Amino acid sequence: MLKVDNYNSNILKNISFEIDNKNLIILGSNGAGKTTLAHLLSGLLEHNNTVLIDGINPSFTYGDKKTKLINYIPPKLDIFDDYIDVKEFLDINNLHSNKLVEDILKLLEINYLANKPCKQLSSGESQLLLIASAILHNAKYTIFDEITANLDPLKIKKVFNLLKDKNIFNHKIIITHNLDLAYKLKYDILFIKDGKIVFNDTNENFFSDESLKVFFKDSVKKVDNNILVAL
Amino acid sequence: MIKKIVAFLSFILILLAPFYGQIEISSQNIFNNLSSDYQIFWDIRVPRTLLAFFVGAILALSGLVFQTIFRNPMSTPFTLGVASGATLFTAIAIILGFTAFTSLFAFIGAMVTIILLFIISSRINIKETSSLLLIGIALSFFYSACLMVLFFVSNLQESYEIVRFTMGSLDIVGFNDIYLVILAGLSILTIALRYKYEIQLLLTSYQLANLKGIDVKKTNYILLFWVSVAVGICVSITGPIGFIGLIIPHILKTIYKKSADKLIIPVFFYGGVFLVLCDMISRNLGVTSDIPIGVVTSFLGAPFFIYLIISKKR
Repeated sequence: MLKVDNYNSNILKNISFEIDNKNLIILGSNGAGKTTLAHLLSGLLEHNNTVLIDGINPSFTYGDKKTKLINYIPPKLDIFDDYIDVKEFLDINNLHSNKLVEDILKLLEINYLANKPCKQLSSGESQLLLIASAILHNAKYTIFDEITANLDPLKIKKVFNLLKDKNIFNHKIIITHNLDLAYKLKYDILFIKDGKIVFNDTNENFFSDESLKVFFKDSVKKVDNNILVAL
Repeated sequence: MIKKIVAFLSFILILLAPFYGQIEISSQNIFNNLSSDYQIFWDIRVPRTLLAFFVGAILALSGLVFQTIFRNPMSTPFTLGVASGATLFTAIAIILGFTAFTSLFAFIGAMVTIILLFIISSRINIKETSSLLLIGIALSFFYSACLMVLFFVSNLQESYEIVRFTMGSLDIVGFNDIYLVILAGLSILTIALRYKYEIQLLLTSYQLANLKGIDVKKTNYILLFWVSVAVGICVSITGPIGFIGLIIPHILKTIYKKSADKLIIPVFFYGGVFLVLCDMISRNLGVTSDIPIGVVTSFLGAPFFIYLIISKKR
């Protein structure tokens, strides 16, 4: 169980919620505090036991004890060294899965990149590499921050199928602006506005016509069971 | 294959280094303890070559570690003011008349700077590595100003001694001074290899290292502390020999095209080889006496370094 008990900072206000072995989608406008919340959950922000995952505070825990619990996948790959290649990067991420690096490269159709330095990847390729690293890390909870932001439609579909496949990831927490993805995944929704949780309920209730109107005004429409941005 | 040949030639260079110098010695006499060749070889040339090798190795590896931790290709113990600290404290020792304790003062100067940097870096976010680099540069300027004051109040003899220290020197007699340097060199090599996985993660990002279960702060402090102690020991014996920590890691990265965690041993080895080579040049080109070693490292290193950067950009 992942539990946040009344966390406050200058960005986030009165954050409290629980996820009990389930998946979750976090939505909210730009700058609402989604990434900060993700950093909080994954132990990248220091705090005094306001976040507990199976009773463990992820921010002062190190080694396997932490890595088994939670992993965070940022929207962009950040690498300092010029020469670390794709295979080396996946090797250091290969922690708690029994899968092989080669198989995961094939699964994501990026095996042709195996020996390419990570710094030379395109933004879409680095996003696929990050997803591959999440599979190999295989934490109990994996937070994906804007998982599809740089992907082409074919790749979005592929990632969607991976997320649906119960053998690939354990529990997923997905931050996204892709409302159709959020709708089709059917996970519960947490909506953040100005650092506060303003919605924490089922997918069905969030994507009802009334609440879509409340959260997105006229800019989002449901057409033939697809969520579209109305331009 | 070429790498193996270069490594082999470098090894031969180190073995041959003690045989060459201003006084020619014959190889038959080096095991004859009655000849003066024996003394020159074992009391001066061999310790000097060993000193050059380990000092070069420590300075090069320290550059690699600092660049990894501060995520900045310009950071070395020298750009962060460690060497200036050592120089300033040596100057103080010379002016106060404690000439017998210059090494101790140099070591204290290096350590005081490191402790200052640690205190400052705990006040700012260590992720803001460019601010730490700027603080190091500011500290160097502050030390230089202090040094100017000392020059101003010192007499000619004292000024000369201070200037001579800043040029660096590998002049030693006997093995007493170098045991500590060898121990320091082997220690930081062992520590760097022990922390190889952590270094590999730090080469990606602090965030990733943290998510993979590494205590980033603790790891950084351990690595920085031991590297700084080793550099402090080197500077206390040889004076500041700059530039090696900056160029050797860069040159090897450009040639090997591998991530820094795989370059720990090459950087250590070729850092040592580079200083042995520079020392050979310094000893054999001199008309009346040795050219200061700091001059040779920069004369040789700077043009090659600039050439590499230009050819890499093309």
